[in-house]
Amino acid sequence: MSIEIQSIAKQFGSFTALDKVNLKVETGELLALLGPSGCGKTTLLRIIAGLETPDGGQILFHGEDATDTHVRERQVGFVFQHYALFRHMTVFENVAFGLRVRPKHTRPNNTEIKRRVHELLNLVQLDWLADRYPAQLSGGQRQRIALARALAVEPKVLLLDEPFGALDTKVRKELRRWLKRLHEEVHVTSVFVTHDQEEALEVADRVVVMNKGRIEQVGTPEQVYDTPATPFVYQFLGDVNLFHSRVHGGFAQVGEHPVAGDGAVAYVRPHDIELLREPAPQTLVAKIDHVRAIGSIVRLELSLENGDPVEAELSRDAYAVQRYASGERVYIRPRSARVFAEDYAI
Amino acid sequence: MRFKQPSVLPGFNLAFGYTIVYLSLLVLIPLSALVIKTTSLSLAEFWQVVSSERVVAAYQLTFGASLIAAVINLFAGLLVAWVLVRYSFPGKRIVDALVDLPFALPTAVAGIALTTLYAPNGLIGEQLAKLGIQVAFKPLGVVVALTFIGLPFVVRTVQPVLQDLEAELEEAAACLGANRWQTFCKIIFPAALPALLTGFTLAFARAIGEYGSVIFIAGNIPLESEIVPLLIIGKLEQYDYAGATAIATVMLLISFVLILAINLIQWWHARRHGMRK
Amino acid sequence: MQAVSTTAVRSAATQEAVWVCWLLLTGALLFLGFFLVLPLVSIFAEALRKGWALYWEALKEPDALSALQLTLTVTLISVPINLVFGVAAAWAIAKFDFKGKSLLITLIDLPFSVSPVVAGLIYVLIFGAQGWLGPWLQAHDIKIIFAVPGIVLATMFVTFPFIARELIPLMEAQGTEEEQAAMVLGASGWQTFWKITLPNIKWGLLYGVILCNARAMGEFGAVSVVSGHIRGMTNTTPLHVEILYNEYNFVASFACASILALLALVTLVAKTWVEWQTERQMAAERAAVYET
Repeated sequence: MSIEIQSIAKQFGSFTALDKVNLKVETGELLALLGPSGCGKTTLLRIIAGLETPDGGQILFHGEDATDTHVRERQVGFVFQHYALFRHMTVFENVAFGLRVRPKHTRPNNTEIKRRVHELLNLVQLDWLADRYPAQLSGGQRQRIALARALAVEPKVLLLDEPFGALDTKVRKELRRWLKRLHEEVHVTSVFVTHDQEEALEVADRVVVMNKGRIEQVGTPEQVYDTPATPFVYQFLGDVNLFHSRVHGGFAQVGEHPVAGDGAVAYVRPHDIELLREPAPQTLVAKIDHVRAIGSIVRLELSLENGDPVEAELSRDAYAVQRYASGERVYIRPRSARVFAEDYAI
Repeated sequence: MRFKQPSVLPGFNLAFGYTIVYLSLLVLIPLSALVIKTTSLSLAEFWQVVSSERVVAAYQLTFGASLIAAVINLFAGLLVAWVLVRYSFPGKRIVDALVDLPFALPTAVAGIALTTLYAPNGLIGEQLAKLGIQVAFKPLGVVVALTFIGLPFVVRTVQPVLQDLEAELEEAAACLGANRWQTFCKIIFPAALPALLTGFTLAFARAIGEYGSVIFIAGNIPLESEIVPLLIIGKLEQYDYAGATAIATVMLLISFVLILAINLIQWWHARRHGMRK
Repeated sequence: MQAVSTTAVRSAATQEAVWVCWLLLTGALLFLGFFLVLPLVSIFAEALRKGWALYWEALKEPDALSALQLTLTVTLISVPINLVFGVAAAWAIAKFDFKGKSLLITLIDLPFSVSPVVAGLIYVLIFGAQGWLGPWLQAHDIKIIFAVPGIVLATMFVTFPFIARELIPLMEAQGTEEEQAAMVLGASGWQTFWKITLPNIKWGLLYGVILCNARAMGEFGAVSVVSGHIRGMTNTTPLHVEILYNEYNFVASFACASILALLALVTLVAKTWVEWQTERQMAAERAAVYET
């Protein structure tokens, strides 16, 4: 089922959480809402679920207006950030809850409920925990039970609020891949909220980058990373060096982007900084302060003549050939850059 | 801004409406009846009632005894809370449970029990009489009854604070060279102070209104050991509704002032400790 | 083994000298002994002073029985009514955000700070013979003051905040996420309340009911004002204790008092048991969060 969001707005007192947001979620896709805290992503998710009422705008489920449909009738699956498992019920009863509260004439009988719950518990690979209470589970297990519970009502849309937020790094990575696989299996339209760019890029089919209640860019992970539409997206997705044309002059005139006047800023990713030992046109002189090997890459911390810091990244192989040492003077040049006007507010 | 933040949970109107109606019918309207009834007296009449010698003496006794009892409870309550939190000893659970006895025991029962013990021929009263101290049927008896009634308030407000006090704070103080007494005065006592004050005020407020446990032990001698609530009942029995109402209104005002005091202490406490959370 | 020890988790640096421990402990126990234990023991001692036979005699007396019956009736009416109120008030206050919330909480607490005698008086002013509704009630032959309804009203007033007071902080701490999850899963408002909210607050609710019940059975001041002390009719057990005591019938008075004292002890045991249950539940939840 597709979801259409049409100029949705939401205010909390004097704080604008969402500023007339438009977005279309395609049937069956896995979409990430990415942004810093307070950008409105969770509010948008809760409005889609019907947990929050928008001040204006419309939500369309499969072309039909669902703005005033009560959360009960929306048939969405919602996974809460802290899971909101019912602490007084076993895992089995938690998953069965959505089926048990149906009106009598649509409620499946007990054997059917049993079958469905075990099917779901098998799907999340936790069938052996059916008789445990939530307090007896690990964080990752709770997360998967919360997901199974949300899927039990056969939702048309699955919504996840920071699904991996409360887990430690290792479990997080496992669960990410697992969620991706699960989505390929059940193929329900899914939206998840995250503030972790790596998570969004790795898991989602498409990423929506949000900031201050507005959408900055929508696109595939490659699109948003490789061709960021705004300086915000550039900075939010990965590290970036800023070069002001006013200060660094011709340096910013790289590639096909001629600088428009004085007020321009070039955005260059650390791995797009090229280091040279000999002077060349359109380069800046820099001194290497520190060399740090981090896993598969080597990060160089440099400073320009005016003291501005610059970060560059090399692969281990490239570093093995060049062997830069700290204290050395080098010339730097961007391989590619994006230039935005200076007054572009971030 | 609107009155209520929107929520998906149902039942606010029903629950809120029911709360307001029930609160109004049972508490607010009857209490306002008291105030309205008082306004039927002229200011001079009102003043005449509440400033008569007997009434003033009763106010003095009620306030004085309540204050002394609350101060006793302040120290005894801190001591009991400290012992219950910090030390383990056989029967601790029973002692802990017993602290709530004044909450659970009907006041009239407490009253006759204390009277029997402290009467001149009673178990404790006899010993004290030898020392020339008479407790029952004297103002001192009122203090004893009010101390009994107020004890759990201080213990139960201070206990959780002592419980939650991090051992690290005391260890840090010890590392910095403080002895136990200094640690208590400079670290523990300031942390427990807001709770102590809250407990003190609660015990004081309860003592001022107390009736059942006091009337037996007080002896109820006008101008000497007669408390304000008894005076109200006395006026009622003589069908002096206006007089009873006037005295009661003053008590109600005092209650309001004490509620305000408690809220202020808690507000002050929240402001001081809000930053840490 | 030492009889007295500071708790195991404390380091030597945060312990007092042993003699200080003993001094403080002895002081506290002596104080509690004189102020709590002795009065409690004396009730039973006085009641049994002239033997079991007289004790039973005093309890079997028709006026004593009818007083006990009235006490139970009043409690059975006022506690459930305040229970429903407490749950409704806590639902509105803890689960929703609205203006004037703290004022409402203060108003709910009000009966705690009003003298029981004043509580009785306000109902006399409204329903009494000279009260606002007095003439109308007399014309329709309805008795509230010096009758059972007045006693119920006064009891309801003094026990008004008990259950709400227990539930509000508990429900605020639990938040609304579980309820939201239930709604998303298709549960109706009532289903959410019965299946999610109520099981989560059951211990707090029971705790409030125990306290409310103890106060309802033992209330003296407020009931004393509105009852009229009519033997066999409007005498609750605490009032009966007073009457017998004032007639110098000490054995009978303490016999009735011993019943109330027993109920108070039952209350303390029940209260401790509930506290123990909640502690155990919380400890289990804490212990179960093992590494992921």
